[in-house]
Amino acid sequence: MNIQFKSIIELREMLDNKSISITELTQESFLLAKKYDELNCFVTMNEEVGQKKADAADSNNKNSSMLFGIPLAQKDLFCTENLRTTCSSKILSNFIPPYTATAVKKLEDAGSITIGKTNMDEFAMGSSNETSFFGNVHNPWKKGYVPGGSSGGSAAAVAAGIVPAATGTDTGGSIRQPAAHCGITGLKPTYGRVSRWGMIAFASSLDQAGPLARTAEDCAILLNSMSGYDSKDTTSLNSDVPDFLANINQPIDGLKIGIIKEFNLSDLDSEVQARFEESKKTYEKLGAKFIEVSLPNISASVPTYYSIAPAECSSNLSRFDGVRFGHRAKNTTDLNDLYIKSRSEGFGDEVKRRILIGTYALSAGYYDAYYKKAQQVRRLIKNDFDQVFQSVDVLMTPTSPNTAFEFGSKGTQNPVELYLEDLFTISSNLAGLPAISIPHGQVNSLPVGLQLIGNFLKEDQLLNTAHLFQKNSDFHLAQPSLEDFS
Amino acid sequence: MDQETVRTICYLARLEIDQKKSEKIQKDLETIVDLIGGLQNIDTSAIEPLYSPLEMTASIHEDIENSDNQKEKFLKNAPESNDDYFFVPRVVE
Amino acid sequence: MSWETVIGLETHVQLSTKTKLFSRASTAFGASPNTNVNLIDCGLPGVLPSVNKEAFYKAIRFGMAIDAQINQVSIFDRKNYFYADLPKGYQITQMDLPIVLGGSINIVSGETTKTINITRAHLEEDAGKSIHDEYDGYSAIDLNRAGTPLLEIVSEPEISSAKEAVAYMKAMHQLVTYLDVSDGNMAQGSLRCDANVSIRKKGDKDLGTRTEIKNINSFKFIEKAINFEIKRQIKILEKGETVTQETRLYDSSKDETRSMRSKEFANDYRYFPEPDLLPVVISDEEIKRIKDEFPELPSEKEMRYQQDFKISAYDAQIIASSKSMADFFEAAAEQTGNYNLLANWLIGEISAYLNKELIEINESKLSIANVAILINRIDDQTISGKIGKAIFEEMCISGISPDEIIESQGLKQISDDGAIEEIINSVINDNPAQVEAYRGGKDKLFGFFVGQVMKLTQGKANPKTVNAILNEKLK
Repeated sequence: MNIQFKSIIELREMLDNKSISITELTQESFLLAKKYDELNCFVTMNEEVGQKKADAADSNNKNSSMLFGIPLAQKDLFCTENLRTTCSSKILSNFIPPYTATAVKKLEDAGSITIGKTNMDEFAMGSSNETSFFGNVHNPWKKGYVPGGSSGGSAAAVAAGIVPAATGTDTGGSIRQPAAHCGITGLKPTYGRVSRWGMIAFASSLDQAGPLARTAEDCAILLNSMSGYDSKDTTSLNSDVPDFLANINQPIDGLKIGIIKEFNLSDLDSEVQARFEESKKTYEKLGAKFIEVSLPNISASVPTYYSIAPAECSSNLSRFDGVRFGHRAKNTTDLNDLYIKSRSEGFGDEVKRRILIGTYALSAGYYDAYYKKAQQVRRLIKNDFDQVFQSVDVLMTPTSPNTAFEFGSKGTQNPVELYLEDLFTISSNLAGLPAISIPHGQVNSLPVGLQLIGNFLKEDQLLNTAHLFQKNSDFHLAQPSLEDFS
Repeated sequence: MDQETVRTICYLARLEIDQKKSEKIQKDLETIVDLIGGLQNIDTSAIEPLYSPLEMTASIHEDIENSDNQKEKFLKNAPESNDDYFFVPRVVE
Repeated sequence: MSWETVIGLETHVQLSTKTKLFSRASTAFGASPNTNVNLIDCGLPGVLPSVNKEAFYKAIRFGMAIDAQINQVSIFDRKNYFYADLPKGYQITQMDLPIVLGGSINIVSGETTKTINITRAHLEEDAGKSIHDEYDGYSAIDLNRAGTPLLEIVSEPEISSAKEAVAYMKAMHQLVTYLDVSDGNMAQGSLRCDANVSIRKKGDKDLGTRTEIKNINSFKFIEKAINFEIKRQIKILEKGETVTQETRLYDSSKDETRSMRSKEFANDYRYFPEPDLLPVVISDEEIKRIKDEFPELPSEKEMRYQQDFKISAYDAQIIASSKSMADFFEAAAEQTGNYNLLANWLIGEISAYLNKELIEINESKLSIANVAILINRIDDQTISGKIGKAIFEEMCISGISPDEIIESQGLKQISDDGAIEEIINSVINDNPAQVEAYRGGKDKLFGFFVGQVMKLTQGKANPKTVNAILNEKLK
C-alpha cells in the first residue's frame, strides 16, 4: 500500500477503513526514510520504540484523535525522553534527554508515532541547513540544493512524502522558509500558542514551535494538539484554543488582505513576482480585497533581529559548558580551559559567530546602543503591525525573496547575505504574530512560497485563508520525482 | 571592532577562534555589527523596549514540592561523574 | 593620623520556602548530593523557569517590616558568567527593578541605637556547591542548593565598625527569623554576608577604595574578618600606599583575609531582562493580605507579654528577642498559670543550658509540655525549686516527662506537717549541743538544722514548712 505523499486526512481514512494497519503504515514510513536516506533528513531514527508503539496501537484501537497512528517526524531540538536530541550540534551529539518536550508529548499523547528526529541548522541558526554537524540536507526537488532552514530536515521529510507532517521551530522564518523552498505548508503560531518547554532555546522571546505538513488542513490538525497553556512555560498563553479544523472552510468573501508597501516586490525575480500576482488573482476570485498598507519600520526588522536573537542565544547557549551533559574536550588544564575547548570544539562557526555578536551586543558600553535599541525598534515594528491590523485581516508577502539555492552559494563570503533572505519572515517573530507559508507554484522547477501573516492569535483565520487557496489550486499537490535520491 | 574587543568577547563567551579563521571571523563580526549599527538612525527616544511579544504578566506557582530524584539520569549524561557528583578539573579559589 | 571605617553589607538570606525559586524541587538542607535537583536546577537544554509565589511573599514581608517601598511589578534579569556550580551559565536575579527598595533597620551596638538605611533587596537564585578538597584533581559539584531562593539585602555604607556590623547582622537575624522569612541558620548558610570595607581619613567626604570580603557566615567571623581587613588597610595607607579594589576571602583557620585570584579580564555580567519570565505582578489584594497576616514583631510582643502575662519589662524583652523563645513561652503559658515562674526559668536555667550547648530551644530535647509540667510541679509545691533543677538536668538529657522522673525517683516533696515534725524532732534530739548553741544566740546554726532535715528527706521536705516548724521548735 503506497503511503508516500499522502496527507494526514488521507492516511486517517486509510486507517479507519482498515486498508492499512498502524503497524504497516509505520513500517512504510521507516522504509521510505531508509529509501531516501541520501536526503539526510534524519539525525536519529526511533525505529524500535516507534514500531512497538504502532503495534500496541493496533491492538488497542481506542483513541479517536485524528493523529492516532499517524507517523510524524520531530525537529531535533525538541527534547525526547530516551531518544537522542542533538540540535544538529557536535556539542550535543551524545545527549539523551531525560524528558520530552510538551509539544511533542501532546502529539504523542494524541496517538501519533514519532519515527525520528530531523536534521536542522545547528541550534536552529541558519536558513539553509548548511550549518548542521550532521551534514547538509538536500532539497527533495533538486539534489545539491538547500531545503531552507533551519527546519530543513522536517521540510524535506514532508516534501519527500516520508511522513505526512513534522514539527519545526521558527525563530526568524525557520518553519516558513524551508516550507516554501520544499513546496509544503508551514505555520508559525502566535508566540506563546505552543509551549516552549523542552524546546532547546535559540532566542527565547522569538522561538515558537509549529507544524510543517502537506496542507493547511493537516497543519490545523497538528496545531490542535500542540497548542495550549503549559504551566511549565510561563510565556505560554492561557487563551482558549479553538478547533482549528472546524472553521477552516469558511468563505473569505470580503477578506481584507494587506500588501506591504515597504517590501518592494519589483526588486524580486520577475518569475517570483509573477507567481505573487497570480495568487492575488486567486484570492480576488474568492472575494478578497487587496489594500496597500505601510509598516514604516519593517525594513529595520533584519538588523533588529540580528541584535536580539544573538544576544538571547549567547546567554541561552552558556549552559553548554561540558560540565553536566554534552561534549567535553579532552586534556584540559583547568575549568576555564575546559569551557573554552569544549565549547570551541562543540559549536560550529555560525553558532560561534552569533554567540560572539550577542556577547558583544550585551556587553558593557554596547548594551544600550545595540540590545536595548533593538528592543525599542522592535516595539516600533509591533506598533506598525497593530496599526495595520486595524484596517486589514491578513498581510500577504512572498515567503522568501528567492527559491532554494545551491549548497555553498550564499553567505560563505558574507554571512549578512544569508541574513537578508529572512526579510519577509523575521518581522512576525519580532511582533509575535502567526504566519503561514503555502506553496504557490514553481520557478525553474523549484517551489515558491506565499506568506500570510495574521493578527495575534488569529491562526484560525490564517488556516482558513490558506485552505481556501489550496481548495482552489493544486500547487500543494505537486510531488518531487526524487529520482536522484533512491 | 578591533582585535582586543574580539579577544575580550571570546573570553566572556568562553570561545576561542581558530588562528586561520580569526581574520575572517573578525571581518564577519564587523559586517554584522555594521548591519545592526544601522538601527542608530531610527529615533527611539521615549520608546519603551519590547522585551517580549507578550505584554502580559507571569503566572506564579504555589510553594508545593513536585519533583523526583533523577540523580542517576542526570549523572549518566555527565562527561565525568561518580555516583554522587559531577566532576570538573579541580578549582583553586 | 586618625582613620575612619566605612562598611556596607550585602546580606544573603536564604528564604525558608519548601521549594526552589524557579523550580518545584525541595530546598531541604542536608539531602544526599544531587538528589534535590530537577530538570530546571540541572540547567538541562529546553527547560524553563517558573516563579515560586511564597518567595515573593516572604520578600515582600521583609520589605514591609523595614518600611521599604515594594515594587509590585518585578522583573528578573540574567547575570551571565561561567562557573562550575552555576548550571545555566547565568544566574536569574533582579537588576533594575528589585522587589524591595529603600527602608531601614535599627541596630543596637553597646549602649547606642543606630539606624542603618537599606539600599535595596532583591530576589535571586543561589548556585550549587563545589567541593574542592575531597577528590584528587577534581572539584565535585552538588546542585542541591542550586536555585534556592535568596533575598540579597544591600545596606548603605553607614556601618562604622566591626561591632556595628555584627549588631547589624544580629538585628537582621532577629528580623528574618521573626518574619518567618528565613530559618536564619548561619551554620547551614541561610544567613551570610559580603562586607565592603574601606578606610578614609577622619573628616574626609569621599570614600576610600574598598575591598569586598566574600561569604562570611558567622557573627564571630564577621567581626574578625572586618577587624583584620581594617588593620590591613590602615597599615597600607599609613605606609602611603593605596588599597587595591578586589575581592577577598576570610580564612578562619589563619584569621586573615586574602585576595582571590585576579581574573584575566574584568567580569562583564551582561545583565539583560530574562526572556523566559514575563514580569511578575503582585496585586493590591495580595499586598493587603500579606499586611493582614503580618507576624507580630519583637517590640509588639514585649508590650503584649507585659500586659497579658504580667511579667516584667526586662523578662518580656529577653523572651521576645528570640522568635523560638517567644514561641515556646507562649505555648507553654497555655499549659501553666505561673507566667513569672515560667519566664524566670526560660531566662535562667533554660537559657543558660541553651547557651552552653549553643542550640536554640526548638533544637533541644525540652518539649513545651514537659517544661510546663515542671513549672506546675514547682508551683503546686509537689517539688522544690532545687529538686526542679535536678529534674531539669535530667529532662535536658533524656527528654523524659518531669512527672515520670518524680515518680520513678520518689522526688515528691514532703509537705505533710506531721511527717516533717517527726523528722525535726529526731534532728533536735540527735543534736543537743547545736540546739543549745543556737538557743544561746548562734542564729547561723538555723541553716544547719534545715540542712539536716533536707539530708534526711533527700531534699524533698517543703522548705517553707521546715522553716516554720523549726522556728517553732527551737524557740
